[in-house]
Amino acid sequence: MKKIILLVLGITIISCSDDFLDRKPKGNLTSDTFFENEDHAIWATNAIYSNFRSWEYCGLPYIGATDVISDDADKGSTQNDGPFLAEIDDFFFDATNQTFSSIWKGHYGTISRANLAIEKIPGIKMSETLKARLVGEAKFLRAFNYFRLVQWFGDLPLITSQLTENQYFTQERKPKNEIYALIEKDLLDAISVLPEKSKYKSEDLGRATKGAAKGILAKLYMVQGKFGPALSLCEEIINSGEYSLLTNYGQIFTREGENGSESMFEIGAVALQSSVVGSGATPYNMVQGVRGVPNLGWGFNRPSDDLIANYEAGDPRRQATIIYVGEVLPDGLTIVQNNPEILNARFNQKAWVPSHAGLQDNGPGNIRLLRYADVLLLAAEAANEVSNSAKALTYVNLVRKRARGTNTFILKDLTITNQQDLRFAIRKERRSELAMEQLRWFDLQRWNNQAEVMKKVGKQFIVNKHELFPLPQSEIDLSGGFLKQNKGY
Amino acid sequence: MKSNLAKWKLVLFLIIVESTIGFAQHKVSGIVTATSNGESLIGATIEEKGTTNGTITDIDGTYKITVSNPNAILVVKYIGYNDREVAVNNKNQLDISLDGSAVLIEQIVVVGYGVQKKSDLTGAVSSLKGEELVRIPTANVEQALQGKIAGIYVSPASGSPGAGAIIRVRGTGTLNNANPLYVIDGMITEDASSVNPQDVESIEVLKDASSAAIYGSRGANGVILITTKTGKKRDVAQLTFSSYYGQQQTVRKIDLLTGAQFAKAYNQLRNQNYYKNPDSLGVGTDWQEEILRTAPMSNFQFGANGGNETVTYNFSANYFNQDGIIKNTSYDRGTFRLNLDMKLKPWFTLGNNVSYSVIKEQLGPNVITSAYRIPSVLPVYNSDGIFTDPTFFGLALGNPLVDQFYKSNRYKNGSNLLGNMFGEISILKNLKFRSNFGYNFSDSKTRGFEPKFEASPSQLNKNDRLSIETGSTKNWIWEQTLNFLKEWKDHSLGLLFGYTAEERKSEFFGASRENFPGTADELLYLSSGNDTTQMNYGGASDEALNSILFRANYVFKDKYLFTTSMRVDKSSRFTPENRTGYFPSASIGWNLGREEFIKGINTFDRLKLRMSYGILGNQAVSNRYPTSSLINSGQYAVFGYSENLNQGATLLSISNPNLKWEVSRQIDFGLEAGFLNNRLEIEADYYRRHTYDIIAAVPIPDYVGSQNSPFVNTAEVLNSGVDIGLNWRQAGKFSYNIGASISPVTNEVLALATGKNEIFDAFVNGEPASRTLVGLPIGAYYGFQVAGVFQSVEEIASSAIAGGEVPGDLKYADINEDGKIDGKDRTYLGSPIPTMTYGFNLGAGYQGFDASIDFFGVSGNKVYNEKESLRFAVYNWESHVANAWTVENPSTSEPRVTNGGHNYRVSDRFVQDGSFFRLRSVSLGYSFPKALISKIKMEGFRIFVSGTNLWTRQSFTGYSPEFPNGNSPFKVGFDTGEYPIAKSFQFGIETKF
Repeated sequence: MKKIILLVLGITIISCSDDFLDRKPKGNLTSDTFFENEDHAIWATNAIYSNFRSWEYCGLPYIGATDVISDDADKGSTQNDGPFLAEIDDFFFDATNQTFSSIWKGHYGTISRANLAIEKIPGIKMSETLKARLVGEAKFLRAFNYFRLVQWFGDLPLITSQLTENQYFTQERKPKNEIYALIEKDLLDAISVLPEKSKYKSEDLGRATKGAAKGILAKLYMVQGKFGPALSLCEEIINSGEYSLLTNYGQIFTREGENGSESMFEIGAVALQSSVVGSGATPYNMVQGVRGVPNLGWGFNRPSDDLIANYEAGDPRRQATIIYVGEVLPDGLTIVQNNPEILNARFNQKAWVPSHAGLQDNGPGNIRLLRYADVLLLAAEAANEVSNSAKALTYVNLVRKRARGTNTFILKDLTITNQQDLRFAIRKERRSELAMEQLRWFDLQRWNNQAEVMKKVGKQFIVNKHELFPLPQSEIDLSGGFLKQNKGY
Repeated sequence: MKSNLAKWKLVLFLIIVESTIGFAQHKVSGIVTATSNGESLIGATIEEKGTTNGTITDIDGTYKITVSNPNAILVVKYIGYNDREVAVNNKNQLDISLDGSAVLIEQIVVVGYGVQKKSDLTGAVSSLKGEELVRIPTANVEQALQGKIAGIYVSPASGSPGAGAIIRVRGTGTLNNANPLYVIDGMITEDASSVNPQDVESIEVLKDASSAAIYGSRGANGVILITTKTGKKRDVAQLTFSSYYGQQQTVRKIDLLTGAQFAKAYNQLRNQNYYKNPDSLGVGTDWQEEILRTAPMSNFQFGANGGNETVTYNFSANYFNQDGIIKNTSYDRGTFRLNLDMKLKPWFTLGNNVSYSVIKEQLGPNVITSAYRIPSVLPVYNSDGIFTDPTFFGLALGNPLVDQFYKSNRYKNGSNLLGNMFGEISILKNLKFRSNFGYNFSDSKTRGFEPKFEASPSQLNKNDRLSIETGSTKNWIWEQTLNFLKEWKDHSLGLLFGYTAEERKSEFFGASRENFPGTADELLYLSSGNDTTQMNYGGASDEALNSILFRANYVFKDKYLFTTSMRVDKSSRFTPENRTGYFPSASIGWNLGREEFIKGINTFDRLKLRMSYGILGNQAVSNRYPTSSLINSGQYAVFGYSENLNQGATLLSISNPNLKWEVSRQIDFGLEAGFLNNRLEIEADYYRRHTYDIIAAVPIPDYVGSQNSPFVNTAEVLNSGVDIGLNWRQAGKFSYNIGASISPVTNEVLALATGKNEIFDAFVNGEPASRTLVGLPIGAYYGFQVAGVFQSVEEIASSAIAGGEVPGDLKYADINEDGKIDGKDRTYLGSPIPTMTYGFNLGAGYQGFDASIDFFGVSGNKVYNEKESLRFAVYNWESHVANAWTVENPSTSEPRVTNGGHNYRVSDRFVQDGSFFRLRSVSLGYSFPKALISKIKMEGFRIFVSGTNLWTRQSFTGYSPEFPNGNSPFKVGFDTGEYPIAKSFQFGIETKF
């Protein structure tokens, strides 16, 4: 009997050895089993792009931190909706406003995905060409994100690899020149390995290209006041033959314009036929969509009176940028009705998408992040800064020519040669061409005229404070003193 | 081969045992009962007079003894009863009844892996009989424990029908999941929600290290042992039937602005006369009235209990139904239970306890928050009869009735098989081997259909959709224990050795389709939906635990008590290096009352001192794989004209491979005393519970890029306190009892992980509302202190400000006196942890009438009215806003009307007193005289009326200051819009045949 018992005990003890206790997460790869083959390398890179479609990255907070805060747009929507954006619009925000924590989280989250890819992909046995390209894509994406963050917040924690537990709370802000240096190095690395847009297969369009990396690097040089290098990068792009302006300005932001000849970097999105937010969708279209009839969204980001006043008489870009009440939408079917709850309703046509599968959340519109016209205008700006007005006029007039289309009575070619006058003309042109594309706030910062412009439209801008956003209060609190807040907050 | 060999060995073994007994011996068995009520007495001692030969009655009150001759005399003793001597007179069956006042608490208590005499206990164990639980009509035993036991704090997990409770034994000893361990008839479970209270024989709460250490790594938060009723030997079976019916409604409503008041506030907010004539709007819509209802509940229980020498059984069938006080929520449960004990051989017992429940729930939407938010100026329906669209006031507003109308077709059907089976072999007279297999298998299926509708830009569903989710869990435990018990002369020694293995698995699967050809029930199956809209998902998780346990009890002269135990646990949750944990304990007790010098005082009927010390663990992190960093797939990228989804995956949930056991050292000093013929009883314990290497998911900065916070061993916390229980019982024609329990507790963080001196969490509007700091309680509230309301521009100019304040705004205290208000001025705003919980109960009986009344209260804690502080649109306000500051009404406490921003930052404006005192239950019953009902073959017949939660004193403006907020100790006491708890009246009958 005892032997039986001992036997039973023995069997259970043996059967319950360490095998019994080794349990692995179900339905998930883990960090131990990831980065083992080429597929994993591709997936890890794709996941970086994926985060560009998250709420934190391109939802309401992003719109707030780019357009609403600028003179291009008001909060929009009903008076009562989105109080945190009203604070942004009116410069009444503090460090607890969710705008800042969201964009911070969205962009650092993307950086962390890029860091992982850059760190781990080199160790995988796979095609060396593909490996180099994927790492190049990741570096481009990391640079893109740091570039936005440094413009919004100034000095930043500089994180270039996966942090370990003892590093979580001890990051300090690094001077913005160190951030610039990383961005420059990442972009140069990317330029050296990334293919041109035309070398990608059509099903890969949207991945980072050599041209896109040059474009972002040109922007960085502009911010740093390195106009010569910026101009030559822009001209490399112009002379590459990879890009051309679409004939019809209005078509850039339609479904047909996605990944068009003018597109240099855009994030793909798709609405799948599902009820919930589909895997490929963005909230970008919803938050800015027409509110009321037709009901396409929340109606935030209202193009401002000041923006309208910026357009030259007859500039067709105004109509192509702004949806007015009574207007027939680009689908040619629906007429926008007056929404009595919104005073003087207007909407951002560049974020407009036709009715689509699933809920409004299921935004299918690609998010345009860099297009050829932007590079042409950068080239014009840089050329003017290095006192080459002829070149500057050539580039800016290319943009005006396309805008005017066949109507020769409007948007005549510029002929100004006085550097200061031309500078203002190019800036004005840039605003008309790129309005409501979330670029204005960065442009004003680069031109160092935020205060002047904000005051002109009656915003409570405080000099030496509002040029930069406050770091999210939650990050300051969590860091236990390592992160210092920006001046004035 | 082997089994043949074993049979031979067994025969041989039995022959040897028999031969040592001799021929003059005589066997007697029977049952010991109380004369007063016929209940069997558990743990009565039976001795053969003049010898050391003796035994005690088992859990059914039965005994078996072999006496030296057929004319021996048995001495039967049971504390609180008169000793009795009975001559055997050559009988083999001898039932004995004892006289005495039935005033004594249970003498045998269930402890981990066994039972013990209460007087021999060296640990702090509280015991509660089943009949005390059923006074509170609830679906499960958890809520019924509230206020019943000193040192345990119970708050409803939710007011929703069928909800369980959050239980804390001796405070929150961890930063982590602080739920106690539940052991139901030996089956270890995470909650006791599936146990029907009427099936419960007793509940024991193991509070200190000595009693809980046998559960090792999971004992640190206390252990709740639930023992279900077993069969008793009877000549004829006993049948019981009982039922009650009741009505419930919300304990209170939240006081919000009326239509007229809202209109005035809105005009003030917008600084314009948007509403021309606010007073004409009157009270407006009472949205709470619209979503709430008076809801019925009912319960039917049938039981059969009986047995003979070989088999005893307890059978029950139960149906419980509770409708929620929010419309379209309900809970229905049917339960069968069969507990069997089969004494198949003198040396072999086989048994099982099994219960099977079938549960159906309607999961209507929780619309509490939207009813709280929607302005009272809005009607339910427009003039054209369609639901009002409230989005003029912001998209973050919905009409709660739209949700109730369109989203209530959602039902969860579940079943739960819970039980254990065991075999027990007496190897030697003193040595028993027991093998126990416990299991808990449950399945559920949730079906939800949401039709196509569009009520507003934020409340719409463009495609009708059916979604189905199934889930199953399979948990089992297999335990092998050897029990040795020997008593000789003045000594008693008990040894326990055990080995257990345990596995838990769960899996879920869900699918959905859209575009159904109709909405009739028979069409609502996935196949009739459009297959191009199909979606599915699934996942699983598992864990395993492996343990060795040992315990020794030694009692000398019934006075000096020693217990020591050790459990070694290996958990799959940790890496092999950190997998094993050792959890020892030791305790001593002294039955001082049995010493001559105490007896001489003639004051104490009972007096015991005890002390225990032990080390326990906790591994109950919510993640079963806390050391694995997970790669999340589904991070798709979209490329190309074709817009294909390209698979993406990356590391989003980082982990900590160095995670190890959380450990707690506990020390307990206890005193038990009985006076005045045991009518007055006192039990008091002082304890210190020092928890270190606490596992917690500490928030990390967003720049790390993780979507979760990894678990780390991070802090040390000290809980210390006193549990005092007092009982006075008076028997007689007019009997009554008075009980009180009181438990002051303090909670203090002793240390946080190196390099970290504070933990911020509970972010509200972007600011942390809790800060855990050394020297303060866990999760203490943190924010600005309101110092008044700015009355004028001059006052603002001369005060410390955050910037942008105007007259009427809140003035925050400049804590660091640096002349400005910023993050450094935030400070401690109170603790969410009660410093005292207490309960009182009174009971009385007279000529068949019985009455009881229970009170329960907590004090010393604060709560955070988070729902009031979040404003994503123009919501209704709580009624105090009617007194908002204006130039004409220069309030010094209520700021001007604003919607978010400065006045809504985390401050003590939203911190409210969380203490309350509640009439938990009151009941009145009448039992018909036996003489009368025996004519209709009844043995008992009682009718009763009762009420629950009828009266509460609280200052909190919400429904009730008790809410769980999940398992994070950093975010406790935040009211985000909890399901209101109900008060109820019920009446019912109890019968026995």
